Amino acid sequence: MSTAPSSESIPLPPQRHGAGPAPAWRSAAGPVLVAAALAALAFSLSNDFYLRILFMCGVYYLCAAGMNVLAGYAGQKSLGQAGLYAAGAYAAALLTANLQWHPALALAAAPVVAAAVGVLIALPSLRVKGPSLALVTLAFGIVTEKLVTEWTDVFGGAQGIYGILPLTWDDEPFSLQQWVLLVIALALATHLLLAHAIKGRFGRALLSLQFDEIAASCAGIAVYRYKILAFVVAAALCGLGGALVAQQNQYFNSDFVTFHLSVFILLLVLLGGAGTLYGPLAGAVALTLTDVFLARWPFIQHFAYGGLLLFALYLMPRGITGLFERKRTPPPPAPAVAPPAAVELHRAAPGPDGPLLELRGICKHFAGVVTAQDIDLQLQANRIHALIGPNGAGKSTLINILTGVIAPSAGTVLLHGHEVTRMSAHRLAARGIARTFQNLRLFGAMSVLDNVLIGAHTHLGLGVSESQARREAMAVLAFTGLHDHAHTRAGSLPYGLQRRVELARALASRPTLLLLDEPAAGLNPQETRELGELVRRIGGLGIAVLMVEHDMSLVMEISDHIVVLDRGAVIAQGRPKDIQAHPRVIEAYLGTDAGLEEE
Amino acid sequence: MSTTVLQALIGGLTMGGVYALIALGFSLTYTTTRTLNFAQGDFVSVGTFVGVGTIALIGGALAIDPASYPWAYLLAALAASLAMGAMGLPLYLAAIRPFAGKAGMSWVMSTIGFGIIMQSAALSLWGPGTRMVAAPLGDDVIRIAGAGFRSQEIMVLVLAMLLLGAIDYAMHRTSLGRSMRAVALNRDAAALMGIPVERIMALSFVVSSALAGLSGVLIAPIMSASLFMGVVIALKGFSAAIVGGLTNLRGCIFGGIMIGLAESFTGLWSAQWREIVVFVVVIAILAVFPDGLFGKKLVEKV
Repeated sequence: MSTAPSSESIPLPPQRHGAGPAPAWRSAAGPVLVAAALAALAFSLSNDFYLRILFMCGVYYLCAAGMNVLAGYAGQKSLGQAGLYAAGAYAAALLTANLQWHPALALAAAPVVAAAVGVLIALPSLRVKGPSLALVTLAFGIVTEKLVTEWTDVFGGAQGIYGILPLTWDDEPFSLQQWVLLVIALALATHLLLAHAIKGRFGRALLSLQFDEIAASCAGIAVYRYKILAFVVAAALCGLGGALVAQQNQYFNSDFVTFHLSVFILLLVLLGGAGTLYGPLAGAVALTLTDVFLARWPFIQHFAYGGLLLFALYLMPRGITGLFERKRTPPPPAPAVAPPAAVELHRAAPGPDGPLLELRGICKHFAGVVTAQDIDLQLQANRIHALIGPNGAGKSTLINILTGVIAPSAGTVLLHGHEVTRMSAHRLAARGIARTFQNLRLFGAMSVLDNVLIGAHTHLGLGVSESQARREAMAVLAFTGLHDHAHTRAGSLPYGLQRRVELARALASRPTLLLLDEPAAGLNPQETRELGELVRRIGGLGIAVLMVEHDMSLVMEISDHIVVLDRGAVIAQGRPKDIQAHPRVIEAYLGTDAGLEEE
Repeated sequence: MSTTVLQALIGGLTMGGVYALIALGFSLTYTTTRTLNFAQGDFVSVGTFVGVGTIALIGGALAIDPASYPWAYLLAALAASLAMGAMGLPLYLAAIRPFAGKAGMSWVMSTIGFGIIMQSAALSLWGPGTRMVAAPLGDDVIRIAGAGFRSQEIMVLVLAMLLLGAIDYAMHRTSLGRSMRAVALNRDAAALMGIPVERIMALSFVVSSALAGLSGVLIAPIMSASLFMGVVIALKGFSAAIVGGLTNLRGCIFGGIMIGLAESFTGLWSAQWREIVVFVVVIAILAVFPDGLFGKKLVEKV
C-alpha cells in the first residue's frame, strides 16, 4: 500500500531519563501532596457546586487514567468507553437496587463486571486496526446504549433505576464531601499503581505494541495478552467511574450512555496528553472546568465544544502536558559513566548435544507461489551460519518461519530436539530465538535504552529485577558500542546506529540463536567491517548466528557454515571455501562462470 | 415469497442503497487521505434541512404547493448536494489537512468537532423539530405482487443504483478517477507524476460530503427529517464501508446493501432490536475478517 506512516501511533513526547527510576517514595511524594491539598480543599468547601466539580474531576480522571493505558500507551483508540462506564454504573445500580447487595460490595464488584465486559470487547478488537478498531468499539458503545435503552425490564431505559444504595458513614449516606474524599483517594491509588506499572516492563510492552506489533512479538511480548490487559484496565477504571456516579446520584438512566460520552473520554486523554503520566489529570481538570464554565452560556456551549474538538489537537498535538514538555529544558546529556565493564554479558548456556535447531521438510507456499520446498537444515550451537541466495530465493521466508512470524505449510522445526513448529513469535523469543529485521523495526519514539529493555522483556518477567535488567542493558549497549546513545531517541540516530540498536535489542533477550536479516544492508564499508567484528564477538558469547546477507565478502569472512537457497530449496551447504567453488552455486547465484562478486 | 418478505427486501435494498452512497463517501476520503469524516451524519442531517429549506423557499417564492411539483424536490436534492459539497472544502481545510498523513487519529476528534459546530448552527436556524418532506412522485402505494411500496422507495433504489454505477464507472474509466486511485495507492509517486494531490484530496471530501447531503434528501420522504437523524444513518454507512472493505468501492456497495437487508429483515422480527442486531453482526464480521469481507488483506512484509 502507500508509504504513509502507521496510522496507529501517537507522537510521543521525548521521555526524560535519569540513570534509572527514582526511588518509589520520591516519585510518590508529589501526587500524595497534590491529593492532600485537594482533600484539604474539599474539607474547606461547603458549597455543593464546587464539590460537585471536584467529584466530576475525580471521576473523569479515573476514566481518563484507564483510557490512557489503552489509547495512550497501547495505541488502541476506543470510541466505545461509554459502554464500559455503563457496565460499571448498571452493575452498581442493579446489585444494590435489585439484589440488595451491600453498597461497598457493589462498588467493588462494578469494576470487575466492567473488566469482564472489557474482555468481551477486547476479543473482537485484537486483530483490527485504525478505522476498523474505531468501528468495532463504536458499535460496541451503540449496542450498549441501545441495550440499556430498549431492554427496559432490566435496565429501566430512559425511566432509569431509582433506589441505588450509596455508601454510608455512621448509617448516613455519604455526603458530597465524603464522595469527593473517596474519589481523591481512589484517584491517588490509581495514579500510584499505574505510574509504577507504566514505568517498567508493563508500560514498555504496551508502547512497543503501539509502534510495531511484529517487532514486539519477536522481542518476546505476547501482543494479544497485553492488548486484552490494556482493555481490561481501561474498562475497570471506566466502570469504577460509572459506579461512583450512579451511587452518588442514587439514580442512573440510559441518557448517561451516549456516543458523546465515549468521545469525551477519548478527548480527556488526547487533550491532556496521551501516553504521559499526568495527561489524564490535565485533561480531566481542563475539560471539567471548561464544561462548567461554558454551562453558563448554553447557546455557545456546543459551538465552543465543537471548536475545542476541532482546533485543540491542531494547536496542541501532544496535549496539555506537551505544552510543558517544550518549555522544560532538554534533559542534560547522560553523564559519561565508564562502560560497566564489571557486568558480564549473559553467555548462552551450552545446550544439550545435537543440533541447536533442525528443520525437517519445511514447505511454504503463498497462494500457489512456493517460497520454501522441503527444506531440511541443521543449525549448530557456537557457529556462525550464513544463508545466501538470489533475490526471491526464500531467505526471508525461512527466517520468518523460524521466528514464528509466519507458519510453514508443512514440516517441523525442532529447537534442542523439541518441536516448536507453529509456536507463536513471543514464545520462540522466550525460548532464545532473537532476530533483527530486513527493514528496520525499531520503536523509534522510545529511547535506545528502552528499546533494549524491551528485548529483556521475557526474563524481566522471570524474576530479574528492573535494576538488574538496566545494568545488563547498559552492558549490551557497551558491547555494541552504543553506550553514549542510551538516552537518545532511537529514531533520531543515523541509520547505521539504528541497525545496531536492533541488534542490541535482540542481544538483550539472552538468545541462544540470533537471526540477522540482511544486517549489512545500507551500511558503508567501514560500518560493514565493524558489523562483521561485532557478529564475531557475538559468536564468541556462545550464541549461534544465522545471517541472511548479500555482501559476499562479509559472508565469506565471518561465517563457519553457509547455506545456499535457490527458489525455495537448499542447493548447497558447507564451509565458505567449498561453497565458493560449488558449481551449482555459481550457476544459480551468478548465472555466469565469473568468480563470486558482490551483488 | 410472502408479501412482507418482498416488502422487507425492497425496503432493505432502498436503505442499503443509501448506506452504500454514504459508504462510498467514506471510501473515497479514506483511499485518498487515509482519513474519514466522522461528522458525515451531520452532513446528512444538515443536507436534508438545506433540501427542506429549498423546497419551502420555492413554495414561498412562487406561491405554489411544492409537494405537487417534482422538480422542486429535484432542485432541493441539487441544493443539498451543492451546499454540503461546498462545506466539504472547509471541512477538509480545517479538520483534515492539519492531520492527514500524520500519525495518530486526531482527525476523529476534529471532524466530530466540525460536525458539532455545523449541527449547532443548523439547530439555531431550524430548531430541533422534525419536518415531513413530501415524496416527489406522490405518497400513493404501488402494488407489486401483492406487496405495497412507496414510490420514494423505488425511486431511491433506482437513483442510488444509478449513482453507484456512475461513481464506479468514473473511478475506473476516467482520468480523474485514475488520478484519485493513484493518490490512494501512493501519494508521493502520484505527486511526482504531476497529479495535484492536494486538490484530489480536497475533491474527495467535496464529493463525499455532497453524497451525504444528497442521501439525506433522498431518505427524507421515507423517514421524518430531523437534525439528529443523520448520526445513525452515517454510522450504518460507516459500518457498510468497513465491513465491505474500506478501500474497495464495490465492497462498500455490497456492505451497504447487506446492512440494509440485515436491518430490514431483523425489523420483521423486532423493530427495537434492529440496531443491536446490525451492530453485533458488524462486530462479529470484523472479528473474523479484520479487513472487511472484500478488503485487501494488508500483508506486512517482514
